[in-house]
Amino acid sequence: MTSLIAENLTYSYSRQSNPVLEEVSVTLRPGTLTALVGPNGAGKSTLLNLLQGQNKPDKGEITIDGNPLFNNRAQVALMPQRGKLNWNFPITVEGLVSLGRVNHSKLTCCELEGALQRVGISHLAKRRLDSLSGGQQQRALLAKTLMSPAKILLLDEPCSALDPLAREEFLLIIRQFADAGLSLFITSHDWGSSLNAYDRVIALDKTVLANGSPQEVQHKLDSMDCMRRGNCFG
Amino acid sequence: MSLINTIWWIIPLFITIFTGLLCPAMGTVLITHKRLLQVNLISHCVLPGLALAMALGVDPSIGGVISGLVGALAAEGLANKKNENYEAVMNTILAGSIGFGVLIIPLLGIRIDLEAVLFGDLLTANIGDLLRTLIAFSTFICLIIFSYNKIVHIGLDPEGAVASGIKVNNLNLALGVTTALVIVSSMSAIGVILVIALLSTPTLLGLHQAPSLLIAMTRSSIFGLAISLLGFVLAIIFNLSPGPLISVLCVASLICLPKNE
Repeated sequence: MTSLIAENLTYSYSRQSNPVLEEVSVTLRPGTLTALVGPNGAGKSTLLNLLQGQNKPDKGEITIDGNPLFNNRAQVALMPQRGKLNWNFPITVEGLVSLGRVNHSKLTCCELEGALQRVGISHLAKRRLDSLSGGQQQRALLAKTLMSPAKILLLDEPCSALDPLAREEFLLIIRQFADAGLSLFITSHDWGSSLNAYDRVIALDKTVLANGSPQEVQHKLDSMDCMRRGNCFG
Repeated sequence: MSLINTIWWIIPLFITIFTGLLCPAMGTVLITHKRLLQVNLISHCVLPGLALAMALGVDPSIGGVISGLVGALAAEGLANKKNENYEAVMNTILAGSIGFGVLIIPLLGIRIDLEAVLFGDLLTANIGDLLRTLIAFSTFICLIIFSYNKIVHIGLDPEGAVASGIKVNNLNLALGVTTALVIVSSMSAIGVILVIALLSTPTLLGLHQAPSLLIAMTRSSIFGLAISLLGFVLAIIFNLSPGPLISVLCVASLICLPKNE
């Protein structure tokens, strides 16, 4: 069982610019589904990039089971925002999923089939990626992320282009992975009762505003000035 | 070797075949990676290097590859900076490069058949041209054999490729080098300017509904080969310049492009 602990992370994109993140601390435990909510520009994607090791924090440290992240990057996988992918690229679903093993051990057909079955799209294996619906594309991307040996999955706005039904189905799928012992950290624009699908919620706006169960976080934010003014999020 | 020396059209035919296969396959990679503008820049940067190499008494293709590479590096640097106006900067460098090439030719006092460099002169190609084409062909095949999955990953998800530990900058540089080699090798067949037609048009045909990059490359190469061979034969029959003829055939083949469903 793998835990990730990030302590007092501060990060800015250049020396001249103001920090995008300040003193952010996050703990990701195995078997939990954690939502990271915050307005646009709050630093959600930046935090995911730090936790995945793509960027190094200016201050603070990230450890996995007590060891520095740098030596354990394979334990963390990132599913990017859908806008960052070239969806017109000539590739099938199974081609996309097999890319999850580039730089890792050789993929067997059983593993590929297994990953597709786990996200419920094994019947779409031979279809081109650009012929799928938004929800099916997100599932395919999740299957690719699952091919890595990582135990901690960071999902950047996986539900952003999904209708309510597809969103609900997607959350049910990732709940199964959390129940199987993986740790999932998901950026989201959800608010209100939608957050009850998660075990924990972290509200971020450059720094951590609240951290706890969905009810605790909503209660805390409701009592804050920004919520009364209606400008905490969005 | 004796056959090559006695039948004048053997070398041009081999160059046509290899260029017709190579350029569309390379073009498929570049178009799916959204790098076609950079190809244009590289092709325009070749001329100053050719001129300087001739003035120094070096093989012009070496100079062409080097200056094409400088263009590739400039393009790479601009693309990495993610400047919103980088396309405008790239177009400026593109025009400036060809202008610089044209300017230094008389200044260096050298003789270059500019028309042949820019628009090709296939029917007078020699064994050196064929060797250049084979080198470019082999380099491209090696790149695909050793880095196919990585090339697919970068084309589909560049940031994800970085995150999974792929040396994206190194691979992009390798793509730039290979592109410069392909452009210089195509100099005799279609010319460094018209090569863009052979890089793009067959790709548009080959990409349609292709389930993988490899299949798209294969289809594009088949279309490219057909267009190039037809251009070669028509050029001989009607005594026309093959480079421009192949470019025009590329445009005409657009009618075969399937409409989007």
